[in-house]
Amino acid sequence: MLAGKGFRKVLNVSGGIKAWNAKTAIGPQDLGMDLFNGKEAPLDILKVAYSLEQGLRDFYITMEKQASHKKVKDLFAKLSDIEVKHQMSIYVAYNDISTKDVSKDEFEKMVEQKALEGGLTTKEYLELFGTNLNAEADVISLAMSIEAQALDLYQRVSLNVENLESRQIINKIANEEKAHLASLGKLMDSL
Amino acid sequence: MKWLHFFTPAKSIDFNESQTYISQHSGEDITILDVRQPSEYKQSHIPGATLIPLPQLSDRLDELDPDKPTLVY
Repeated sequence: MLAGKGFRKVLNVSGGIKAWNAKTAIGPQDLGMDLFNGKEAPLDILKVAYSLEQGLRDFYITMEKQASHKKVKDLFAKLSDIEVKHQMSIYVAYNDISTKDVSKDEFEKMVEQKALEGGLTTKEYLELFGTNLNAEADVISLAMSIEAQALDLYQRVSLNVENLESRQIINKIANEEKAHLASLGKLMDSL
Repeated sequence: MKWLHFFTPAKSIDFNESQTYISQHSGEDITILDVRQPSEYKQSHIPGATLIPLPQLSDRLDELDPDKPTLVY
């Protein structure tokens, strides 16, 4: 989030405070594969946004199945439902600014191609972060980092989208991701 | 479904590197940013760390100096 907002030098501590507490070093993660350099066409941005929502949904569904705590389970179910709505809004926005209408199937095929270029499965993603699926705080913390990335993405995207209606759609999704982050934060505090 | 790397470019350093980095810079020259929840911050945090929980970060970026190296956890 910081690197996309003019911060000159951002250093992520791998493993966060857990690494400090455990005093064990977690290998460096090369996560510098930024998909957005700010120069992409709005249509491309929407394709990536769609796949991000797919990824978020997939993540929440997996977490819902894994979680044992009812409150956590319910929140993940709710969050995954909202991502479906986001996907639909993104698809509508795409057709709104595209010169030719594409069917949902065609759109999903385009998105899929893009997503496969450099992807990680949810399982690999969880492993990369050393997330303990049985530790609710770990899972919520990862969900928060993903939502923060989504929020950052939408905020940057909205600056690039000239079409007012599309921008409003993106802003609305961004605000909802922000609300997700806040709910996850509250959930973390309640554990 | 496969995930993409959705991360903005940020260099990752491990625990040992971060300790060295902090010891080589005076507190005024770097920002140590804790983006966890206040309850976690209370339990333990890196000395001198500024707490801005992730849900508030996008609204509170103006509290930070973008010119200073920022170490985030």
